[in-house]
Amino acid sequence: MRRRFPSIKRSLGGRIASLLVIFVGTALLFVSAQSTGSAAVTSVLALEHAWNQAEERKDAKALDAIFDNALVYIDDDGSIRSKSEFLSHVRAPGSLPELEVTESMTAHQFGTTVVVAGVYVLKGTEHGKAYLRRGRFIDTWILEDGKWLCVASQSTPILH
Amino acid sequence: MESGCAWPASQLPFSTERWQLRSKVIGNNWRLFFILIAILLRPGASAQSAGQSNPEQGRILSLENAWNQALQQKDAAALRMLLAPDLVYVDYDGTLMDKTEYLASVQAASLHPVHLVSESMKVHLYGGVAMVEGVCREIGIKNGRPYSVRLRFTDAWIRRGESWICVASQSTLIEP
Repeated sequence: MRRRFPSIKRSLGGRIASLLVIFVGTALLFVSAQSTGSAAVTSVLALEHAWNQAEERKDAKALDAIFDNALVYIDDDGSIRSKSEFLSHVRAPGSLPELEVTESMTAHQFGTTVVVAGVYVLKGTEHGKAYLRRGRFIDTWILEDGKWLCVASQSTPILH
Repeated sequence: MESGCAWPASQLPFSTERWQLRSKVIGNNWRLFFILIAILLRPGASAQSAGQSNPEQGRILSLENAWNQALQQKDAAALRMLLAPDLVYVDYDGTLMDKTEYLASVQAASLHPVHLVSESMKVHLYGGVAMVEGVCREIGIKNGRPYSVRLRFTDAWIRRGESWICVASQSTLIEP
């Protein structure tokens, strides 16, 4: 599972890094929205941000509202999850990564469809083993009854 | 693309010479013809369309199959018809490409995809938007070495007039 903004920090250096990451993330969000200049893109990027916050809070109810019922979620190991499986995974108690950050995020609008592409970095420990993963994601959003819903999300590790 | 699977060339399950000869024999016009036929195929003609009740779903699956054929034939002209000018493409190694970069990668002389087959595909329709999820197996030769990969992918298609174009595509490696 990925989130695309900073999460928990355990040291002073981590806290400073966290603040920097929030600043850079906010700036990127602003720049991305500005570069396309679309209200739709601004709305979707705000929802991407809300997604990250909801995941950090394990707020499945908030996530439920921004995902289409037929959500297709593909994690960076290629595993596929339905909406209910993804929400269960969010609710489940588990180890949190030490650092999760989005390096870049751009949105492309195609009428009532917005495609968001970005790069994320995850750092943490799982089953006693440290990991550092960098990957690329695409989220696809559609406008349905005046509301933007995410219909698909996929992540792929960057291997080079 | 490189892969974890390395077969000795003598044990490949296909003849590369035969494939290259076939590619030369089939001209560009014929390739386009085959692609157009695939686009016009009704849903019942596609194996992957079984179980898909909406004709549009079958049509999109035909386009997916046409994509695979065009890749095997390194047919950039056919691919150009299937892909939106603003395509967002993420390859299974995480490389981000636009349409021009993707078409260039397909035409690379060092890459010879020999066999591409989608094991399963499912189409989710949202009016003029369609999401396809599936698993694809690709076998070929890159830089003189055989490769074999299995991928899970999603493709986003939007309706353009009477047809559909792909606006986003992403693949992630899965166990062979």
